[in-house]
Amino acid sequence: MKGIKLILILIILLTSMFLTACWDSVEINKREYLFAVGIDKEGDKLKFTSEIPKIIEGSEEERIVNTTENKSFADFYNVSYLHSEKAISDRLMQVIVLGEELAKDGDTVKKIFDEIQRSPQMNRRVKICIAKGRAEDIINTEIPANPLVGRFLSDMLVKLKRESYQEIYTFDEAILHLGQRGNAMIPVVEINEESLKIEKAAVMKEYELVGFLETDELESVMLLLDPANANLRNINIEIDGITMAIGAVNVSMTDKINLKNEKLTVDYYITLYCYIDSFIIGNNSLEDSNFLNKIKDESIKIISERTTSTIDKLKSTYKTDLLRIKEKLYKYHKKDYEKIMNKYDEVFEKASINVHYNMEILSVGLVK
Amino acid sequence: MFNQDITPYQNLSILILVSFAFQSMLMPIMLTEIDGPTGWITILIAAVLLYFAIKSFNKTMKIHDKETIVGVCDKLFPRYISKAIGIYYILMFLTVNSLLMKDFAEQIKLMMLFRTPISTIILSILLTAAYATKKGIQTIAHITNIALLTALIPYLLIIIFSTYYADYTNIFPIYPADTEGILKSVPAAMLSFLGFSVLLFSNCKVSVKDKNYRLNKRFIIISSLLYIGCYLLILVKFGAKEAANLVWPFVSIMKFVNIPGFFFESTEMVGLCLQMTVIFTGICILSYFTNLAMQETFKTEENGFFIYIQIPILYLMAAALPGMYMMFPYIHMPVYIISGLNFLIPIFVAYAGSKK
Repeated sequence: MKGIKLILILIILLTSMFLTACWDSVEINKREYLFAVGIDKEGDKLKFTSEIPKIIEGSEEERIVNTTENKSFADFYNVSYLHSEKAISDRLMQVIVLGEELAKDGDTVKKIFDEIQRSPQMNRRVKICIAKGRAEDIINTEIPANPLVGRFLSDMLVKLKRESYQEIYTFDEAILHLGQRGNAMIPVVEINEESLKIEKAAVMKEYELVGFLETDELESVMLLLDPANANLRNINIEIDGITMAIGAVNVSMTDKINLKNEKLTVDYYITLYCYIDSFIIGNNSLEDSNFLNKIKDESIKIISERTTSTIDKLKSTYKTDLLRIKEKLYKYHKKDYEKIMNKYDEVFEKASINVHYNMEILSVGLVK
Repeated sequence: MFNQDITPYQNLSILILVSFAFQSMLMPIMLTEIDGPTGWITILIAAVLLYFAIKSFNKTMKIHDKETIVGVCDKLFPRYISKAIGIYYILMFLTVNSLLMKDFAEQIKLMMLFRTPISTIILSILLTAAYATKKGIQTIAHITNIALLTALIPYLLIIIFSTYYADYTNIFPIYPADTEGILKSVPAAMLSFLGFSVLLFSNCKVSVKDKNYRLNKRFIIISSLLYIGCYLLILVKFGAKEAANLVWPFVSIMKFVNIPGFFFESTEMVGLCLQMTVIFTGICILSYFTNLAMQETFKTEENGFFIYIQIPILYLMAAALPGMYMMFPYIHMPVYIISGLNFLIPIFVAYAGSKK
C-alpha cells in the first residue's frame, strides 16, 4: 500500500512538471502589439492602417506602419498574421481611428462596432476618434516629439475627457451612447502641421456621421450636458474700447422640460460664477458697479448667441438630440414621451429650446 | 464519516453563494422580460414571497430538526409522495447544476481557453468538483467561506469599479412600471434564489438550530440586497436597452473595468477568475446536495459515492444542453414549472406539518 502511494505521488509530481501550460507561449519580442489602427473605406473593402511599435531594447522609439485591405477586423488579423513572422496581439491597442468616409456609412460602422463588441479578446477601453479626412493619413503622421501616434492620441483623449473638453473617449462609451441614445459626439482628430489636434467633435446619429461641431459649439453642448464639470474657456469681450477676458469657475444649471400636445419646450437656467481674468493696469472701472453690469450683459449676449446658434444647428441641420432631452422625457415624463416616441425627431425639430444665462462676478482677481 | 455538522454562518455562506451564482446566470431573463429598469421590483416580490415561505417552513423544521425535506415528507406523507418529492429534487438539482456547468464552461472557453474542446472543460470541472463533493459538507462549507472572502467580495468590488463613468439616472423611469413584465419575471427571480431549495436540505446539517432559522430569513434579505445591487449596477452602466442585449452581463461589465492605477492590463481576466471561483463553488455545493437528496430518497448510509453516478449524468446533460443564451427563447415554461414546484413543495409540506 505504502509503495503504491509512493508511486502515485511520484507520478503526480512528474506529471506536474509537464503541466506548465506554457507550451504555446510567445515571448514579448516575438509579438507585434498593435498600438493604433486606422480604418478607411476602400470601395466595398476596408483599408486598415496599423501602427506597431518596434520592441528593441535601449533604442529610440520607432514604429512600423502597415496597410492592408480587408473585409473585416477578423480578416485583418488573419491577413496580418500571415504577413508577419511575429504573433499579432491587440491587447495593448490604444486607439481606433475611423476615416470620415467610413463614418458616413452607418452600416459599415455598425459592422465594425459589432465586431469589436462581440470580440472577447478586444478591450472595450480602447480609445476611439474620427479622422477629418482619411484615417490612414492620421496614422502615417510623423510627430517628432512623440513618434507613436497611438500613444499620442490616447494621452490626448484621456486629457480631454478628464478636463471635460470631450464627452466620449473610449469605444465602450461610444457604443453605449449610440445604443442607448442613438447619437453620440466622438472626438475628431485632424492633422496640425507636424502633429495632430483634437478640437472638434463628430455628430453621430444612428451610427452615421452627420456633421461636425466646432470647438465653441462643442463647448456649448458640453455646458448643457454637464455644467458641473464643463470647461468654459475665457469669454472675450470688448467694452468702451477695453478688451477683457472673463473666466467661469463654477456653473450651476436647472432645466424645465414641458411637453404639451406635441409641443416641446425646454428651458435651461444657467448661472455662471466668474472671475475677471484680464483687464488693463491702471484702469479702475472695475470698481464701478454699472461697468460690471455692462460686462455681465455683454458676456451673456456673446455666450447666448453662441448657444442659440449651436442649438439651431442641432435642431435644424443635424436633427440630432445631443442634449439628451429625449432621454430625460423617457426617464422623468414617460407617459408623455410614449405619446410622441414614434415621431420624436419631428417634435425635436420644432421644439422651443431656450437657455437663460445669469452671471455673477465673484471676484475681480488679485488686483483692483 | 461525512456527517459532520456545519455552523449557521457556514450555512448562510453556502446559501448566499449558490444563489449568487444562479442570479448572475438568470439575470438576462429579467433584463429582457421587463421593459424598463424596474426589475428590482421583481426581485423584491420574489424575496417577499420566499421570506414568508421560509417563515412557514421553519416551523416544520423546528419539529423535525434532524431531517431534510425528503425526511420530513417521509414522516408526513405516504411513501410514494415522499419518493416523488425526493426524485423531483434530485432531477431539479441535476438540471440546474448542468445548466450552471454548461454556462460556466462556455464562459471559460470564450474568454480564456479558446482552443480547448468544451467537453474537456466540462470534464475537468466535473472531476475537480467531484473530489470536493466527496469530501463532505464540511469541506464544501470551508471552500464556500474561503470563496466568499477571497472571490465574491473582490469580484463585487471589481463590478463596482466597472461602473466608472456610469449614468446613475438609468434607474429611471420607475413609474409607469411594466407591470406585466415584472409579474412575468417573478418566477425566474424566485428560481435565482436557489439557496431557498438548498436550505431545505442543508438545515439538518447545522449544529446551532435556533440561530440557523433566524439566519435562513436573513439569507433572503442579504441575497435580495445583493441581487438588487448587482441589477442596479448593470443598469447604471449599460442602461435597460443595452443590458437586454447582453448574454452575460456580469462578464460584459468586467470588460469595462477601469481601476485607476491597477497594475493588471486585463482587469477583466482577474474578475473572470474570481467569478469562476464563485461558480465552481456553486457547482460543488449543488453536487453535494444532489448526493444528499439521493441518500435521503434511496435511504443509503452515506452519500459520497453518488457523485460517481452524477458525473456521467451531469456530463451528458451539460453536453446535450445548448448554451444558456440559446435557451432564453424556450426557457420560460421550464422556469415557471421548476420555480413553481420549488416554491409550492415546502409550503405544502409546511401546511401538512402544521395539520399533524
